[in-house]
Amino acid sequence: MRLVVDLNKCQGYAQCAFLAPDVFAMHGEESLVYNPHAPEEQRERLARAVAACPVQAITADGLDDSRDGGEASDAR
Amino acid sequence: MPHASMLRQITDFANRANPYPIYEELRRTPVLHEEDGPYVISSYYDIEALLHDPRISSDAANQTAAGDDELSQSEGTGLPPSFIRLDPPEHDRLRRIANSSFGPPHRPRRIESMRGELGEIVTGLIDGLGDTRQIDLVDQFAYPFPVTVICRLLGVPREDEPRFRAWVDPIVAGLDPDTRTSAESERVAQEARLQLGLYLNGLVEQRAREPRDDMLSDLVNSRGPDGAMTTMEVLSTAVLLLIAGHETTVNLITNGMLTLLRHPEILERLRNDPGLSVRIVEELLRYEPPVQIVPQRTCITDIELRGITIPKGSRIWLMLAAGNRDPERFKDPERFDPDREDIQHLGFGSGIHSCFGAPLARLETQIALAELARRLENPRLVEDPPPYRQNAVLRGPRHLNIAFDNLR
Repeated sequence: MRLVVDLNKCQGYAQCAFLAPDVFAMHGEESLVYNPHAPEEQRERLARAVAACPVQAITADGLDDSRDGGEASDAR
Repeated sequence: MPHASMLRQITDFANRANPYPIYEELRRTPVLHEEDGPYVISSYYDIEALLHDPRISSDAANQTAAGDDELSQSEGTGLPPSFIRLDPPEHDRLRRIANSSFGPPHRPRRIESMRGELGEIVTGLIDGLGDTRQIDLVDQFAYPFPVTVICRLLGVPREDEPRFRAWVDPIVAGLDPDTRTSAESERVAQEARLQLGLYLNGLVEQRAREPRDDMLSDLVNSRGPDGAMTTMEVLSTAVLLLIAGHETTVNLITNGMLTLLRHPEILERLRNDPGLSVRIVEELLRYEPPVQIVPQRTCITDIELRGITIPKGSRIWLMLAAGNRDPERFKDPERFDPDREDIQHLGFGSGIHSCFGAPLARLETQIALAELARRLENPRLVEDPPPYRQNAVLRGPRHLNIAFDNLR
């Protein structure tokens, strides 16, 4: 899955780094480091991180099929 | 005088079950000031701006100087003020040290690694309901859950959890204005605070000598650029996490179940897709936030808002729950809709005091609601609205009686 963080929006709340620590990490107190090509097994964690971002700075490709298409069964 | 009674209506218990019509009326005067009362701010964008404004102080001393109001609350712990009641730079120092024991960058997996344990606690509580067809969700589930979680997080040994819980219950009960009036319950709460303080003090000393993989050990042994916390600072931080993380989580879970039972089609979707709990919790934090009002801010200089000058030293109430339903910000704000594209709520506040425990509260509530949806067969409300607690700030039901056909 591809993802991008809008670093103009990012305020360093670090909610994503709590929820998906293998995709997002804090470098020092405020700067965010992330893997723009998150592996498939991170889908659920990534979805949590996207939803939890207080300023909605994270956009991820290919998360929506878990919610809109085909209900939940194919999400995991 | 069209607004003479607005403050009274906010605190009036008669409006507790549904305060939202009052909030709607409030937003028509987004900066409201009655007589010598606080300045009441109710639009989303104004609240958001003030939460980030360094001219707005959280310091308890500034609040005392401004005089008490109906919603003032002292921490009443006999400990030094915790970071929620401090301004920078002291706030920053204490919060940074606390964070280094709790989250990234120093402890990025502390919360994530509790996921399995949280699931076990929830399963244990539901299994423990026994052979019954009706429960009070508050007393039997939502209340015990966060205390157990905070014990595990701090590092309270399992065998001490019952003792710990026995101290916490009267302390938390004493926070509600309802029970605060009785001298006997105040005495019990006072004694419990003392016992809890002594117990934690012993645990802190022990962890200072023999650190383990828990938050108390990290707090008391922190060696970062900010130095270590004093024992008193560790104690007030631990008590803050306990108190601030308790009622709020209870209310988020209870408001959540109440809202789902009022929207059975969404409850049904959650039953089939536990992943939906993520969006449900975010939307709950907008639609029924457990902290309705931030009443403990004062401005340290004159500030101008919508053409009104709020004089230095004034008390300010930020009406989070009113901002969360501001039509200027949200489409169809009175609708509970976990599918909305843009859930950017004020439920956890914003700015330097934004909820410290948010990642934990999210996880606890996501797991709790998903499991309750999965295991309660055909659940329904016994009474709607349920009875509420007195508190207008930390608003939530005192009991939530739910009937169901079976436990799965």
